Amino acid sequence: MTSDAWYDEQHRLTPDQLQTVSFPLTRWARQGYEEEPVRAFLSEVQAEMVRLINERASLWQEVQRLRRRILGTTNGNDAVLFGKDDAHIHAVRILSSAQRTADRYVADAQAYSGRLTEEARVRRDEIMGQAQQHADILLTEARTRARAAAVAAMDNEGLPPQTDQERRAVHAELAYLRTFSEVYRQHLKIYTEDVLRTIEDWEGKERAAARDIEVPPGAGIRGHDSPGIR
Amino acid sequence: MDIARLKSSFARVARHGDEVPLHFYSDLFLKHPETRGMFPVSMQAQRAHLVAALVTIVQSIDDQESLTAIAADLGRDHRKFGTLAEHYEAVGDSLVATFAYFCGDAWDAALETDWKAAYELIASVMVTAAREDEKHNPAYWTGTVVARERKAFDISVLTVQPQPRLDYVPGQSVAIESPARPRLWRYYSMANAPRANGSLEFHIRLTDGGAVSMALTTHAVSGTELRIGPPVGNLRLDPAPGREILMVAGSTGLAPLKAMVEQLATIAQPPAVHLFFGARAADGLYDLPGLEKFAAEHRWLTVVPVVSNGRSPGLTGSLTDTVMRSGTWSAHDAYIAGPTEMVQDSAARLAAAGMPAAQIHVEDFGWSEQ
Repeated sequence: MTSDAWYDEQHRLTPDQLQTVSFPLTRWARQGYEEEPVRAFLSEVQAEMVRLINERASLWQEVQRLRRRILGTTNGNDAVLFGKDDAHIHAVRILSSAQRTADRYVADAQAYSGRLTEEARVRRDEIMGQAQQHADILLTEARTRARAAAVAAMDNEGLPPQTDQERRAVHAELAYLRTFSEVYRQHLKIYTEDVLRTIEDWEGKERAAARDIEVPPGAGIRGHDSPGIR
Repeated sequence: MDIARLKSSFARVARHGDEVPLHFYSDLFLKHPETRGMFPVSMQAQRAHLVAALVTIVQSIDDQESLTAIAADLGRDHRKFGTLAEHYEAVGDSLVATFAYFCGDAWDAALETDWKAAYELIASVMVTAAREDEKHNPAYWTGTVVARERKAFDISVLTVQPQPRLDYVPGQSVAIESPARPRLWRYYSMANAPRANGSLEFHIRLTDGGAVSMALTTHAVSGTELRIGPPVGNLRLDPAPGREILMVAGSTGLAPLKAMVEQLATIAQPPAVHLFFGARAADGLYDLPGLEKFAAEHRWLTVVPVVSNGRSPGLTGSLTDTVMRSGTWSAHDAYIAGPTEMVQDSAARLAAAGMPAAQIHVEDFGWSEQ
């Protein structure tokens, strides 16, 4: 089968027929058209038809060329392209490309979710690091003070406060240390609670984000439906 | 059956890479639209599974015994997806059509007959194994979450009550599907030896962007019903008289090893066990208090925590380096579980240090995983 066989097989009007067509003359010449203008018009129609046919042939060839490219075959036999199987293979290709799109959507969504959790992890590490540093500073300070107090106590061992003034000074120091430890305990507590709140806040956001990208079970691509993201 | 020709035609088809499974699934879904619902939206991982299974099958196509074993496993494993006998015919048709398409001119009637015969053989083993399995086991177990405890920032321990009772060997894993992420199955190891009440413990680490781990660490509240596949995996205790044990656990790779340690506690005279438990940072040593308590009650167990970054309650450095530095292990039995890279690295270095291959046991999900 050649590429332009599709119009030859049927009895259709051709430019050649226009060229050679003849009409029976009317009995009284004055009731017929003048032959020359009719001929001239027909020749215009003929030229137009030739142009159309050429255009169609070249479009047809273009269609064939593109189809061959899509099917990835250099097989010149056009008949192969018209089997029932080829319609199926064409459908397989369309579905495959839709599947690839769906895969890409899911991969993108997963990458996005991955970035979110990674960021959260990094920020959490930062905050925990800072908290750890803070706690370290507080502890060191408290330890230094405790050591100083212990040293002071040892220095005074066996020598009870001699005067009221000295006794008052020791009491004042003790009161200071108690207050100090109380204040810092409060400080540390508030700080820890704040960190916990921040983490809970993130958790809430993470859950909300997870809900947002949720699609009811059963949703997804079937045939050519647009892909859903889960 | 011309096996050489089957193999060479498969090699020819395989050259087209991902196009092959893509074509196969599109062909199947067009001819049998009802099968689409059995798969997740993204088919990327699924295609890799299919290719891996095909490669394994074709490689062992002339080894009747291992082929039968593979196909039987595959048949049993497919029950949890709701695979029915009639699906096998549909899959066979699409598979042969796909091979024919990619073989091009090399395809002929003889090859088609051979491929059909090969497929029918494998499918019949799969169907028979699935039918036999039906007599003893459900297609999947329903696992009700009874507790979820967050042990670290990104690690949760899930206690699940399966129905009916699920029998397994410590070291094995199961595929889990969460109702929040239907049709996505991920493998997790049981982290406990079988208990009288049948409950199972899983250690779930939230992987960045991991759909199932996120569902299990945030959505799986008490009462959530998970689907659980049959136990799989070849990692199991194989103690030899007089041989001590080295265990290397990276992060949640601890799970299967902890199940084995619990199992050892039930035998009369357990061998000495050296368990290295590694994590990136100290808070990743999520189960350390429990392990240390267990070690205090069982003198044969020594737990060594290893942290690669920052402060450590034990040793500091890369897990593998630390293990290699800490002793001469070639006369030990080694059990290694954790991130793939760490497992492979540890196994290779133990082997290089003179440990016989038969004494190195690593977590191996086989072809059906990942």
